[in-house]
Amino acid sequence: MFELSQFKKINSTLWEIPKSFRSDMRVPARVYASEKMLNEIVRDKSLEQLVNVATLPGIQKWALAMPDAHEGYGFPIGGVAAFDTKDGIISPGGIGYDINCGVRLLRTNLNKNDAALHLNDLGQSIFAEVPSGLGRGGGLVVKGTDLDKILVGGAQRMLELGYASADDVAHIESNGVLAGADSAFVSARAKARGQDQLGTMGAGNHFIEVGYVEKIFDKDGAEKLNLFENQLTVLIHTGSRGLGHQVATDYLRIMNRVMPSYGIKLPDRELACAPFFSAEGQQYFSAMKAAANFAWANRQFITFEVRRAFERVWKEAIELLVVYDVAHNIAKIEQYEIDGAKKEVIVHRKGATRAFADQPVLIPGSMGTASYVLLGREASLTESFGSTCHGAGRRMSRAQAKKQVTAAALREDLYEKGIIVNVGSKSGLTEEAPLAYKDVDDVVNVICDVGIAKKIARLHPLVVIKG
Amino acid sequence: MILNFIHLQWKNTNNMPYCFREHTADIRMNVEGKTLNELFGDALLGMIEIMTPIKSRSTAIVKREIEIESADTTALLVDFLNEALAMMSTEHEAYTKVVFQALSERSLKAELEGYNIESFGEDIKAVTYHEANVKKNNDGQWTTTIVFDI
Repeated sequence: MFELSQFKKINSTLWEIPKSFRSDMRVPARVYASEKMLNEIVRDKSLEQLVNVATLPGIQKWALAMPDAHEGYGFPIGGVAAFDTKDGIISPGGIGYDINCGVRLLRTNLNKNDAALHLNDLGQSIFAEVPSGLGRGGGLVVKGTDLDKILVGGAQRMLELGYASADDVAHIESNGVLAGADSAFVSARAKARGQDQLGTMGAGNHFIEVGYVEKIFDKDGAEKLNLFENQLTVLIHTGSRGLGHQVATDYLRIMNRVMPSYGIKLPDRELACAPFFSAEGQQYFSAMKAAANFAWANRQFITFEVRRAFERVWKEAIELLVVYDVAHNIAKIEQYEIDGAKKEVIVHRKGATRAFADQPVLIPGSMGTASYVLLGREASLTESFGSTCHGAGRRMSRAQAKKQVTAAALREDLYEKGIIVNVGSKSGLTEEAPLAYKDVDDVVNVICDVGIAKKIARLHPLVVIKG
Repeated sequence: MILNFIHLQWKNTNNMPYCFREHTADIRMNVEGKTLNELFGDALLGMIEIMTPIKSRSTAIVKREIEIESADTTALLVDFLNEALAMMSTEHEAYTKVVFQALSERSLKAELEGYNIESFGEDIKAVTYHEANVKKNNDGQWTTTIVFDI
């Protein structure tokens, strides 16, 4: 476990583990956190994992942890690392099993008071329309070349199929599709895991939340995003489901096998990687893009299902427009100024969100707490490889959370706060109890103090739907 | 050829061959067995307990085969569990019995028997290599940790 004395304090929100800390580190490791939050982060294995990331070939400048960082496997969650595309690596473990897990925010023209009487029905209607996909009878069944077209086309393919509007697609990171995806590099098993999961939410921390804009921090920014106080909103958090999990599993296995031939030795097999421009590296990158496209198609089809759920309740179509859709488990080729020259790098974001200047950033809080809409700022390009945090971040294990609160007590507590819960599993409810998470306000405040993003609006939940 | 039946009947044995430990976001499981067959079988049992399968009405018995090779015994266990996980997800089934027709350091052939499920209570995304290390402890027991991504 780390002691605070082992860190070099750069300023009140930035801490560095110097390169000299361990002989195999190629760059320092840096943590964005307040002192209070850092004291919490040192308790689990996040920082040992971050130091391991700093040993990977081709890593540039620093291995970064965001204030929502917590222990993962291989890379920590809330981690960002950029590798030189020429002599660096790509690592499936640096993206995670849920490729392009991400968040989408929808806005309505309704005021929360207009919806008050409908909230119970709306919760049930969304719960019925959006399956968890953990068993039989899941989402849209898509096989063969139809599935291949989704893997290549992402949300754009959903537009061709009539499940998206051009306006939807225009408000998605990378317009909902990564070019260069090749379905031939996605295994038959991965396709089989995904073929009935389009439009499904999954379990764990995934959710759909109906809420409202509780507070506007930046009037101009909110106007630009068409957000106003008391506006009814919908937040969707899910990813590439079994298809993405299998892509990661397949390529971790492949990379573990080929690593010795590239002379790569690692402190943890879960960091398995291959040179970016090796055959395995490029095949994984192509398969990862396909899984990312599947995730964007998934969040798009869920949007279609949510629109149907609203229409069922209101007995007429309700305008639900996409504010933005961000990925928080992904790798992308980007350019940054490093040592005075522009350099092309492959940025790995594992539980981290892209935060380019003026790009909307969506930070979901834990169940029953606030979520934030931010806009990225210029400083993200020099300070954090264009990245920021992705959520509140867990601070307590699932088992601990279950010991501390019962489903009935939690439901009662949420009810008292005026939050309706529609959930498939009781255990899933307690595992995601707000006490298991860090305070999202603290996380966002650090990010804004650092200057890599600014607050635009805070959302408050009204109805939570979980698998 | 090694033949070993392991009946996966959970929650009715006093000495659980596996236990769950703290992990901030995921599930960390310690598993041990007198033989590799036991270790592999019990790790599968532990994983299925996490997934909390809900049986379908069908009484049909399902049978599957897994045959894999890996770089070493640790990878073999992780790969075996991932194979079973993928099959459970695509075929909508859970297993109660495993027979290892062959199990060596780097390869195995197993026959699984189980039932159709309606759904799972928990979604395991994958079995990770993180902290996995199959070895014999001082008491001569095979042990390892397995971290599941939830």
